[in-house]
Amino acid sequence: MSAIKQTSVPVFPDTVAAPFSGVSRLSARTLGFYLALGAALTFFALPIVWMAGIAFTPSGEYVSDSLSLLPAHPTLAHFEALWRDGFPGRLANTLIVAVGATLLALSLGFLASYALVRFRFPRRLDHTFLLLVLVIKMMPPIVVAIPLFQLLKGLGLLDSKLGLILVYQVYTLPFCIWMLLSFVRDVPLSLEEAASLEGAGLLRRLWHIVLPLCGPGLAATFIFTLIMAWNEFLFALLYLSTPSHFTLPLYVSNFITENETFWGQLMGIGLLSSLPMLLMAGYVQRYLLRGFAMQMK
Amino acid sequence: MLFRSRLQLLLLMSPATLLLAMLTLYPISQILINAFSYVDYVGAERQFVGLDNFVELSEDWFFAGAIKNSLSFSVLASLLQVGLGLALAVLFDRQFTGRRFALPVIIYPMMLSTLVCSAIWRAWYHYDFGFLNNALLSLGLEPVQWLFDPDMALFSVMLVDIWQWTPMAFLIILAGLQSIPADIKDAALTDGARGWRRFRHITLPLIMPQVLLALLLRSIDTFKLFDKVYALTGGGPGNSTETLSLFIYKQGFKFFNLGLASAAALLMLAIACALSAVYAWRYVGAKS
Repeated sequence: MSAIKQTSVPVFPDTVAAPFSGVSRLSARTLGFYLALGAALTFFALPIVWMAGIAFTPSGEYVSDSLSLLPAHPTLAHFEALWRDGFPGRLANTLIVAVGATLLALSLGFLASYALVRFRFPRRLDHTFLLLVLVIKMMPPIVVAIPLFQLLKGLGLLDSKLGLILVYQVYTLPFCIWMLLSFVRDVPLSLEEAASLEGAGLLRRLWHIVLPLCGPGLAATFIFTLIMAWNEFLFALLYLSTPSHFTLPLYVSNFITENETFWGQLMGIGLLSSLPMLLMAGYVQRYLLRGFAMQMK
Repeated sequence: MLFRSRLQLLLLMSPATLLLAMLTLYPISQILINAFSYVDYVGAERQFVGLDNFVELSEDWFFAGAIKNSLSFSVLASLLQVGLGLALAVLFDRQFTGRRFALPVIIYPMMLSTLVCSAIWRAWYHYDFGFLNNALLSLGLEPVQWLFDPDMALFSVMLVDIWQWTPMAFLIILAGLQSIPADIKDAALTDGARGWRRFRHITLPLIMPQVLLALLLRSIDTFKLFDKVYALTGGGPGNSTETLSLFIYKQGFKFFNLGLASAAALLMLAIACALSAVYAWRYVGAKS
């Protein structure tokens, strides 16, 4: 066994053939790698670093020198202005709508994906359902925006948090169903069968077996869905009309179109509204790769 | 063993099914009706007019521009994002010091709200005191009208999209790279395949499914483009950045031309369905 292992140790023909150029070539390679990495990190991080800097920079200083990343005279004035302007209210709106939409999608999606994994559907309806969910996931939301406006109007839910929570399901429910499928699949069927033989009903099995075992999956799905709902713009733009009901993305757009000059406050909102997401990004990192690997299954 | 109780199945499926039906089947049926009608918004009356809306669309100069912009944005942006994402994934498919901290930095942009991204880049694109033009000036180059030059504006919007969403293509492809078994990589090395040749003949064929998936998902996503144009250019200058989503938004919510907006929405849905059909056939159908 060990003999086989020894022969399969990689041999590098080019370093063997040219022993003297080996060292310099390797370091040139490493240098190239770090240059490319540095360029990539700069491209993706610089705008965010810049945003954080401007949020603490006095307005006049930014206009005179926009290339500096750190403020010469740091100030909290932009955040104070935001606080007075009603930022906390918009933050609360966003929190309620995003968490509400996520919890609704997660609970309905969990039940549906459990059924899709565990139950025998008549006439292969499960495939039809999944295909339809997929089409909804891919559909441009603007396509259904006008009829949904009429629907919300009819229900008396225009310009309300409940209305938004409802229409956000267009994005969040299909996503939850697809993402949870693979986590439910990982729950061993034998555990449930044993419980079922001992007389545990559907609800007991769901609550005591499936839900705990899907915990990490539910947490990851919760965060992905929350980010989606937290950042949603189109439906908020179309269905909210009272400024005090606005969510944060909509609040941002207000500053872009009307107060072009208040860059400091704009970047302050950007920083504050993305902070929770950036913090959670660290946590979901390990699930991100798995999530995308899953799309292939 | 699969569970068989019809009643329990109904209980589990009906909430999600009913909600989705209300939010999609009903709206799509409305669009189907409105697309072939003249809709009086104030009187809430509908009159069947056959293909009139589609005829009007075919003669609409803005609609033609919107289709052209949406398609060219979708094709070019998704190709660039997947190309860059592939390069990044190859870069990250090894161990190096600080990898644990570099990866989240690359992924951050996709956690941001599109509106926050647009706000940052709108400041960077500012002609007089934007970051980009100041950088150009300090290098001794001419400033650029990033958002107000009709030939430039769509590419400026594209750069923002590339910044925000290349990380997604990167993650999909990286997941593929890391699922290549180590012994295949070793075997390639012992055969003497190095550098470009090894990438071209061994790595690339193995991750082709992920590359195609990234391309498909990004093209479907970029095709919907709305937030960024809305926040950065509003469709201008002229109609150089008007997209299908923006066209429908303006017709429906600004001019209250519901028939025309519905006809355009129907066409857009058809194109999106064609794209999703490729996805479903390639990735979902293959499984069952």
